[in-house]
Amino acid sequence: MSVVRNVELAPPSSRRGLAVLFPGANRWRVPLSVLTLCILPWVLPSQALAVNVLIYGLLAVGYNLLFGYTGLLSFGHAAFFGAGAYATGIAIGTFGVNWFVAMVVGLAVAGFLATIMGMLAIRTRGIYFSMVTLALSQLVYYTALQASSWTGGENGLRGFTVSTLSFPGFSLNFLDPLVKYYAITIVVALALWFVSRALNSPFGAVIEAIRENETRARACGYNVERTKLLSFVLSGILCGLAGTLSAMHLSIVPLDSLHYQTSGLIVMMTLLGGAGSFFGPFIGALAFLLMEDIFSLWTTNWQLIVGVIFILFVLYLPKGIWGTLISWGKGR
Amino acid sequence: MTKGIDKLVQRPISRRTALIGLVGTAGALSMPWIARAQAETIRIGFPTPLTGPFAAEANDQVRSAQLAVKLANDKGGIAGRKVELLVRDDKLNAGEAATRTLELIEKDKVHAVVGALSSAVQLAVNEVTRARNMIYVSISQSDTINEIKDFSPYTFHEALNPTMTTAVVARHSFQKGSKVAYLVADYAYGHEMLTGFKRAAEVIGAETVGEILHPFGAADYSTFIPTILSLNPDILCICNFGRDQANSIKQAVDFGVKDMMKIVVPVILHNQRLAVDPEVFEGVVGGANYYWGLEETVPSAKAFNDVFRAEYKGAIPTDYGAYGYTGVASLLMAIEKAGGTEPQKVIEAMEALKYDVAKGEQFYRKCDHQSVQSVLVLESKAKSDMKSDADLFKIVANEPASESILRSCSELGFKS
Repeated sequence: MSVVRNVELAPPSSRRGLAVLFPGANRWRVPLSVLTLCILPWVLPSQALAVNVLIYGLLAVGYNLLFGYTGLLSFGHAAFFGAGAYATGIAIGTFGVNWFVAMVVGLAVAGFLATIMGMLAIRTRGIYFSMVTLALSQLVYYTALQASSWTGGENGLRGFTVSTLSFPGFSLNFLDPLVKYYAITIVVALALWFVSRALNSPFGAVIEAIRENETRARACGYNVERTKLLSFVLSGILCGLAGTLSAMHLSIVPLDSLHYQTSGLIVMMTLLGGAGSFFGPFIGALAFLLMEDIFSLWTTNWQLIVGVIFILFVLYLPKGIWGTLISWGKGR
Repeated sequence: MTKGIDKLVQRPISRRTALIGLVGTAGALSMPWIARAQAETIRIGFPTPLTGPFAAEANDQVRSAQLAVKLANDKGGIAGRKVELLVRDDKLNAGEAATRTLELIEKDKVHAVVGALSSAVQLAVNEVTRARNMIYVSISQSDTINEIKDFSPYTFHEALNPTMTTAVVARHSFQKGSKVAYLVADYAYGHEMLTGFKRAAEVIGAETVGEILHPFGAADYSTFIPTILSLNPDILCICNFGRDQANSIKQAVDFGVKDMMKIVVPVILHNQRLAVDPEVFEGVVGGANYYWGLEETVPSAKAFNDVFRAEYKGAIPTDYGAYGYTGVASLLMAIEKAGGTEPQKVIEAMEALKYDVAKGEQFYRKCDHQSVQSVLVLESKAKSDMKSDADLFKIVANEPASESILRSCSELGFKS
């Protein structure tokens, strides 16, 4: 497998990253990221916002694995986010299982859905891939809308509030905003560590090879379809994890979490932060949610401001906030 | 070997314990603030969809709620404390509403929450507030929130619910043997109204000839209207809300529907009537919680209209706006009676409260905390009958407050 690392393709950005700004920082990117996240609740306007940054950041990180690193633009990732959230909520609310089991159920359902959707979608490319993922996720949306005895339909899923996280020997008050924040941070930290490992593995190099030049990667003997599918499923599971955390955080699952607008939101956050960078998606989620939070207190036309800022980014800073910072560092 | 494993196992636990210790210390440090809370301002959270298709109604709610707070402060506050209203935009999105409510509770330390304007959104707010023992007064129509699954002692519902609205509207517009066709917005509000109307129609002996669903926020209704015409009903019952109401009625009228049948809506909206010409709504019948014209017969309505006019340069309060006023005013009366914001005492005070702030006597039913109140049936006036620009509706009926139009407590799942 070491052969993979010797393939001369475009330099994988995963190993570029922070290293340019601070030599050696890349090695510590997970601890540094987690440290940054630990400070958030003390600097943001509210802890509920900080938890949302964690959840949407993780969602964007999962999406980035497919979009930024594998180069597949999916418009259907709300399906995995929502599936994870609904599965967790139903597992707790209807079947009364423990929170941890419910999280595992959420991941399993999101993973299963991602496998099926991935198998159907990766046969197509480019705009067709985006359209197929969009169509399949809308199928999931309408299924949830119709199966109202399970999902609560339009009213959303309710009745599964997790108020304590019980561990063998002790338990945590999950209604306390800070406890909730740091409990979720631990899960996000594990997920970040996993993503970092995956990106540094031969698999990480192959997905970037596919993004840069699919034909060449295929000619080098890699199983492109299988790699794409694996990347799709991993990305789906990470988005599912964000979904389970969102369900536990808000104690509801709104039907909107499956809506294509959520898919669009994920793409927007990833682009805003910087697709194809490790910490960029978190910056994107942070920037978007912060803008929304602050501007909507000032004016009811906050979407206008956010929209203009997004257009400016697409026109002048296509690498996003974090991606631009990195390339500035590189230029020095 | 086992020692090594033990070490590995113990390490994460000790870190967690350290974390809990940290959090515990932080919690202990914040105790004095909690103890000080009694003398401070009474803060009421008010999440409402300032952006989105219900923005007009939401802005009316805010204005009326602010008026209720201002009146309380003008007479020296409630239980000796100032009152503050914290308005937040929930964007008509349940997830956003839950986040905003968490923010109001955790960061702004509100003492109660009033608001929301959609079935899904109010249920989301309710889920967050009831888990944290926070009083919530919902001011948007819903039947689900009355049912035992979503109820909690902290949940109050000031708005009408679809069951009582449709029961009264049907009583004054359906007749035995009437053929009724329904055009229904395909989401919770539409479905609950449809269920209510069919239930009422069964009692009256009216016949359902067809149910047509349209997507929420639809702009084009021309495809549904030929189907409705072919059903040949006596009454077309259009169950939708906000902009959808004006759009669907306008297009139905363009197709000449009104010459062949009567149009009935569950809730006839002041703002939607204002959005189109009087000819469009002329003769349309619908229910309402409030209409300013009540001032001719109800003294509290006159008083409410007068303070509203004085505050907002001659403007008049609207139907959904009035919910903001009655919701906040009833909560403040209960806080006054309870002598503070201690939730259990406020709940007891609300359950015992009889209030008449804008539309005649109201009270919260003990089992489901639904506000028992009068229901109006309005008919939109022809342009020639309008005495002023604000003279929109004729009051067909003012059905007095009665539990008989509600579902019984046992039907909702309560043991009584």
